[in-house]
Amino acid sequence: MDCPTCETMVDAYVDGELTASESAAFERALEACPDCRRRLEAARAMSGLLRELPAEPAPDLLRARIERELRTIAGASRARLPGAGMRWGAMAASLIVAVSIGWLGGSLVGQGGRETDELIAGYIRVAMSEHGVDVASSDRHTVKPWFAGRIDYAPAVYDLTREGFPLVGGRIDLVDGRKVAVLVYRHNQHRIALSLWPSSSSGNAAAKIAQRDGFALADWRHAGFEMRAVADLAPGDMRSFATAVDGAVDADR
Amino acid sequence: MGRMSDAPKPDGGTVGRFRSIVLPHLDAAYGYARWLTRDPTEAQDLAQEAMLRALRYFHSFRGEEARPWLLRIVRNTWIDLRKRNGPEKLPLEVLETRAAEGPDPEQSALAGDRRRQVAAALAALPAEAREVLVLREIEDLSYKHIAAVLDLPIGTVMSRIARAREKLAVELKGRLERRDHGLPDL
Repeated sequence: MDCPTCETMVDAYVDGELTASESAAFERALEACPDCRRRLEAARAMSGLLRELPAEPAPDLLRARIERELRTIAGASRARLPGAGMRWGAMAASLIVAVSIGWLGGSLVGQGGRETDELIAGYIRVAMSEHGVDVASSDRHTVKPWFAGRIDYAPAVYDLTREGFPLVGGRIDLVDGRKVAVLVYRHNQHRIALSLWPSSSSGNAAAKIAQRDGFALADWRHAGFEMRAVADLAPGDMRSFATAVDGAVDADR
Repeated sequence: MGRMSDAPKPDGGTVGRFRSIVLPHLDAAYGYARWLTRDPTEAQDLAQEAMLRALRYFHSFRGEEARPWLLRIVRNTWIDLRKRNGPEKLPLEVLETRAAEGPDPEQSALAGDRRRQVAAALAALPAEAREVLVLREIEDLSYKHIAAVLDLPIGTVMSRIARAREKLAVELKGRLERRDHGLPDL
């Protein structure tokens, strides 16, 4: 085998695209050809470097956008699908409607769309995944310390079982480029994601509740924390939740 | 792929089959879109558009492998979008940075300089070289499937990969040298 032939085979060899006999012929030719050995090493090095690049999964928001389209196309009569679709349930259907008509962006005072998008994406992760929380516990003395060293503030963590909102666990999400604590609560079959971070404004601000199609979002400030809650709840239940959070924070002060 | 107007309107059953066959490859579609556009926001738009197009073309799906079939649609959609919107308006430098940034800024900072340099070098390659490397090394497609995505003979795929790897090596070497010259000696 002369070198030009050998050259054309280097990459196919690296990629495992040669037949066994071609590979054997190539390996024999390689012994006599230092140039091709160098080419082989270079091709392997480039391949290896590219394979180290981390894969980036499709963002949750993209997934939700596509789900919304598929649902629209499949028709309202098929809002509930068997199998994996079932896990979405009515919650996700209403969530997707909520995202599509953009009410969240419009109803939150003084907030960019990006933060809202991120909160929704965070909620989708919490509500849809079996692994919606990184620390799963109803014990605030387990959940609260878990945040230490992971974010630069200590969130207010309380179990609200007595008020009808048991603590499920916590996780960290990125909101507006900042890592924030997300507490996950449950109310009957519904999950609630409460994101909270230290406020730059002083004073409390009463919860504003926005609601469409059974999906609720609350936005308030209490005891120095900005609070954002997203859930598939009736607005009255969301208000009770916000009241329960504030009550627990106040009782502890 | 038939003309749009010939396509039967997808019904609930079609959407159900599409969900189980094509939707699992959304990550691959987005990953490919990410490297074609080099911009996360545009990649989302492209992946969404391609998914919907795939659903409309799904009647012409003949049970071949779904991933290359979908990636081919991603690519054709990208070409059409570029015809409509013109080429990227962002300077290459910005695109390189966006391509090199992962989903989590903190994570990509930790991921190390070498990976960022490799990603930026890949992003800087012309589309023809870039996409063949992405399909081979990141999407891990065989030559046969790459040929199907790009609609090229296998021999052409093979020589394109060889040339693309050489280009990447040159690009990366240039970058590392420029960087090393910019840094004070230790």
